[in-house]
Amino acid sequence: MVLTLAVMSFIIFVLVEIMPGDAAQTVLGQSATPESLAALRESMGLDDPLYIRYGRWAGAFIHGDLGESLYMRGVQINTIFWRKVGHSVILALTALVFYVPLSLFFGVLAGVKAGKLTDSIISFFGLATMALPEFVSGIILITVFAIKIPLLPITSIIPIGETLWENLNILVLPALSITFVMFGYVSRMQRSSMITVMNSDYIRAAVLKGMPQGYVIFRHALKNALLPTITIIGMNMGWLFGGLIVVETLFGFPGLGSLTLSAIKTRDVPLLEASVLFITFIFVISTFITDMMYAFLNPRIRFKRGEV
Amino acid sequence: MKNRPILEVKNLDVVYKTLTDEIVALKDINLQVGERESLGIIGESGCGKSTLFYAIMGYLPSNGNSTGEIFFKGENLLEKGQKEMMEYRGNRIAMVYQNPYSSLNPSLTIGYQLDEVTMFHRRFSRKEARKVSIQSLTDLHLGDAAGIVHRYPHQISGGMQQRICIAMALLCRPDLLILDEPTTALDVTTEAVILDIIGELKEKYDMSLIYISHDIGVVNKVSDRIAVMYRGEIVEKGSQNTIYQHPDHPYTRALINCMPRSGIVKEEVRLNTIQGYVTRRSAAETGCPYIARCEKKAHDCEKGYGLKENSPHHFSACTRAYAVDVPDRERTALKKVEENYDEEKNILKIENLYKYYGRQGKKIRALDGVTVSLDRNNVLGVVGESGCGKSTMGLTVSGLLKPTKGKLFFDGMDISVSWEKRTPDTLRGIQLIFQNPGRSLNPSFTIETIIGRPMKKLLGIKSKVERRKRIIAILKKVDIGEEYLNRKATHLSGGEMQRVALARAFSISPDLLICDEPTSALDVSVQASVLNLLGDLQQESGAAYIFISHDLNIINYFSDYIMVMYLGRVCEYGRKDEVVGPPYHPYTEALLSAVPDVDPSLKKRTIRLEGSPPNPTKKIGGCPFAGRCHRQIGEICINVPPPRVEFSDTHFVYCHLSKEEMQGISS
Amino acid sequence: MKTMFLLLKRNPLAVLGIVILFIWIFAAFFGPSFLSYTYTEMDMDHQMSLPGEYNHLLGTDALGRDVFARIIYGSRSILTVALMTSLFSSIAGILIGFTSGYFGGLIDMIFLRIMDIVMAIPPLVLAMVVLGILGDSTIFSLTLIVSIAYTPATARVARGALLSCKGNEYVDAARIRNESHFFIMFVEILPNTIGPVIVEITARFAYSIMMIASLGFLGVGLQPPTPDWGMMVIENKSIIKTASWTVLYPSLAIASLVIAVSLFSDFVSKVMIHEK
Repeated sequence: MVLTLAVMSFIIFVLVEIMPGDAAQTVLGQSATPESLAALRESMGLDDPLYIRYGRWAGAFIHGDLGESLYMRGVQINTIFWRKVGHSVILALTALVFYVPLSLFFGVLAGVKAGKLTDSIISFFGLATMALPEFVSGIILITVFAIKIPLLPITSIIPIGETLWENLNILVLPALSITFVMFGYVSRMQRSSMITVMNSDYIRAAVLKGMPQGYVIFRHALKNALLPTITIIGMNMGWLFGGLIVVETLFGFPGLGSLTLSAIKTRDVPLLEASVLFITFIFVISTFITDMMYAFLNPRIRFKRGEV
Repeated sequence: MKNRPILEVKNLDVVYKTLTDEIVALKDINLQVGERESLGIIGESGCGKSTLFYAIMGYLPSNGNSTGEIFFKGENLLEKGQKEMMEYRGNRIAMVYQNPYSSLNPSLTIGYQLDEVTMFHRRFSRKEARKVSIQSLTDLHLGDAAGIVHRYPHQISGGMQQRICIAMALLCRPDLLILDEPTTALDVTTEAVILDIIGELKEKYDMSLIYISHDIGVVNKVSDRIAVMYRGEIVEKGSQNTIYQHPDHPYTRALINCMPRSGIVKEEVRLNTIQGYVTRRSAAETGCPYIARCEKKAHDCEKGYGLKENSPHHFSACTRAYAVDVPDRERTALKKVEENYDEEKNILKIENLYKYYGRQGKKIRALDGVTVSLDRNNVLGVVGESGCGKSTMGLTVSGLLKPTKGKLFFDGMDISVSWEKRTPDTLRGIQLIFQNPGRSLNPSFTIETIIGRPMKKLLGIKSKVERRKRIIAILKKVDIGEEYLNRKATHLSGGEMQRVALARAFSISPDLLICDEPTSALDVSVQASVLNLLGDLQQESGAAYIFISHDLNIINYFSDYIMVMYLGRVCEYGRKDEVVGPPYHPYTEALLSAVPDVDPSLKKRTIRLEGSPPNPTKKIGGCPFAGRCHRQIGEICINVPPPRVEFSDTHFVYCHLSKEEMQGISS
Repeated sequence: MKTMFLLLKRNPLAVLGIVILFIWIFAAFFGPSFLSYTYTEMDMDHQMSLPGEYNHLLGTDALGRDVFARIIYGSRSILTVALMTSLFSSIAGILIGFTSGYFGGLIDMIFLRIMDIVMAIPPLVLAMVVLGILGDSTIFSLTLIVSIAYTPATARVARGALLSCKGNEYVDAARIRNESHFFIMFVEILPNTIGPVIVEITARFAYSIMMIASLGFLGVGLQPPTPDWGMMVIENKSIIKTASWTVLYPSLAIASLVIAVSLFSDFVSKVMIHEK
């Protein structure tokens, strides 16, 4: 995991550094003289070899210093970065609260009713929502809930001087459009693993032991059928906490995603490095946690084989 | 019928609807099981044995539809809803399945899965339930029952898992216990123990039993009355002796004569074969289900078709088993003994062969010093239970595995290397037949490509016309028509696929053929024809065979020499007649005693081997069998490697028992 | 063929998907010749006109451009790029995944590690950063980047498909007649993995459409004036309240295409399961 992160950070650094366009030029603008450019490059250490700059950057990063923004001159990235991360985390948690119970419930339902009408409806809905890019479902949601029935705000911008907590209603539409995407993904997974489990020998054995249907589903099937779904939810955690660029852009939500996009557009190298690395970090961590969870919930891994 | 029936099935039909048509799974089944009676049901795969019991339990897939009546203690089960069926399932009627591991829930403890049965059906508290569960495990001779309840299924060996499943089925003292091939997935010594226990419990609990199996020998051990099923019908019913000695139905007679069984050897007789294979039955089909394959059919034989009591307690749908108007086939020997043996010449020498898997520290000793040699025109039968290294030996000789230590000589040439380093002529000379023909023929290729490719690659025949000529010739030998040339392997039946695999091997005239369980994926009737074919091909080519099998009956039928293996080592080696009779190694003795007999009059005492083979990653100082051996003589067995005891030039045993002691063992 | 029809008959949604997909392919090929406007033409007198007004079927945007025409033209680029991407990433994925899974051992470990690393960046973020760096996207760069972003995922699928076949004895049989690795991988094994591979290609087609639309939406897709559905959405997002059609119809276009492809892909996987 540490190795992955180290390699990743280097790749990201190189990738971002080879961006066309000169940082010094970006700072000083088109009218800068060659002398002032050279001076600035010198003071920013831009002339050092790549690996020295990487070492300097990574060293600072480990100490929690994300550097200074290029675009917003003089602003420490730390001061804006973590607030945006906080917003993204709140949005992600809201979405989780929406979609996890929903998709698990309908996934299990579709799995148990496999082949029946209920299943067809849930499966089609899941397929449709899963296929839609977030901004498309977002636009549909906006059209319905903000324009036709003006219940919720079209954008999720926090008015200056206020905090997210005073504007919780702006979370609803973004979280719903995330739910749309994840619902299809998770419920279909849950459905198929439920079907696999319900067709297994041990479920047949449990039914033919005379156990009632509900009990078989909840006690015998669910625990095994949840395992693959938990992996899916876990693997998407990274996307949920760091990759919501599209949703945040659509709603203008002040989070990590829109920050990353603006860093690209403004060629704000240090900011871009910080956010991409952070997103990757979340990805790696969430994969790691998922693996641990999986191992913990699965007795076949938790208890190594040991014969009596 | 001993007394009033517990279960009475009347005119039961089951039909499955598929996308394209309707398939008849059961047709007009009539069946009775009395109190304390044990009924055995035998049949080949796809004949509807399992469907019958899922129909009784009310557990058919949604595309299956059953009509008729199933009375259990006077109540028609087919009229009951799922809710009402709960009262019967696991309570009055309990089942045990083929695969114990997949029948236990992997994420719940054994104890939990046992307790819930009595908690539901008997309304026991958790504590009471646990007490009953532990008692039930103890009844099945599972030591440390109190410890087992806290374990998960994956932590327990296959034999113990099946005992747990049986214990679970018995928790509510059911009136009827249905066992669906419960020992098919297990080793023969484990199977013997389980069958013993089943017989014991039947007496103890006064219950009725239905035992389903493809193996008549297994059924003989637990059931006195036997029903024979074929393509969804019961074709014959009667006592085990009647069924074996005086079958009425041609299918029953043919099926029994297909089976390799004690006293039947290739030097004396060919196995009977049944032409064709079991096909699905469409709804439109009427009349005798066996007619297409029947040897005894006559122009008007379907007239009186139907299950009738022809003699007391003996029912049959047809009585032409011994019909004289169609004479029996002449029974000849498969191996001509008068063959000129001067030509015998050594083809394979294995010297002190070792094969370890895995890395340092966790080495699995699959082969632990094996020495053996094999002559042209001979069959070396290698027998042993799963994990004994018999397949590893085959793979090492074939070149798919590289030996860790030791030497292999093929026709005098050192071939102790893996396949990349062997010469094309060696690769041609050693051919391999796999257990599962469906997996050994590439499903995307036509039969012509499958057989033609080795010819091109190893014989260097470039001309397509020439290849085709030879392919047609070899296909004829394995009794497959020219019209199969352009078919894909997936469109063939299991037996046909194995024939094509044989054609592929023999198309390049091998000197040594390694057969790794070549018939264990096939039905009995098909198995016989493959064994006959293997024998004929050997007569013709003079190739030597290594024949690997877990089934002593087949080994005994087909081999010239037998090698018994245990945990990577040789226990006993000798000519066939020397190995299957005393004196023998205690393990051979146990194996032989465990083999189920087709002939019910051959009742023998089985030796119960407890436990399972030791962990193959541990280095064993003494005899690997010492821990389970019923003739163990003390510390010496555990600590000192057993010496080689020779009884003749060709017969030796590795054991600490003295020659005299071993000679004293009677059969 | 007969079972195919029966399966289609049982899956009316799949039929719907296939029909919509064909409509879009038809529109991309021949649509423009039926249009009365081009995608750049600005009807200066009728900006933001309602759908149906002034001969504009789906109305016009803030610059007076015909929304319908832009959607029809937009279908060309998205279909082309998505198709090429799904093909390229599948081919690359098969090559990489097969090599990795077939040889196993160290090679496999290194491949897996590299794939893990690439997969640690969300594909969208990866594509966005790289496209942002490269500047103005073209059909070529877009195809390349999206293909690269999806290759690890297809490689994993291909590797899994290979591994499920590798254990079969026909592979052993090929080895002991000394066939080359290439022959075993691509002649013996590949035809037997075609089921999962086709399912993967069609699923990847849907994902590619999603990704390309999203990149357009983020402004790093094809550059104006090329009409791009995703871009149309973000361009007009600020006027969504007054001229919702400018945003809604391109969104619906994406939705219909992507759902149609998913239905199709779902059907393909059902057929493959049935074939087994």
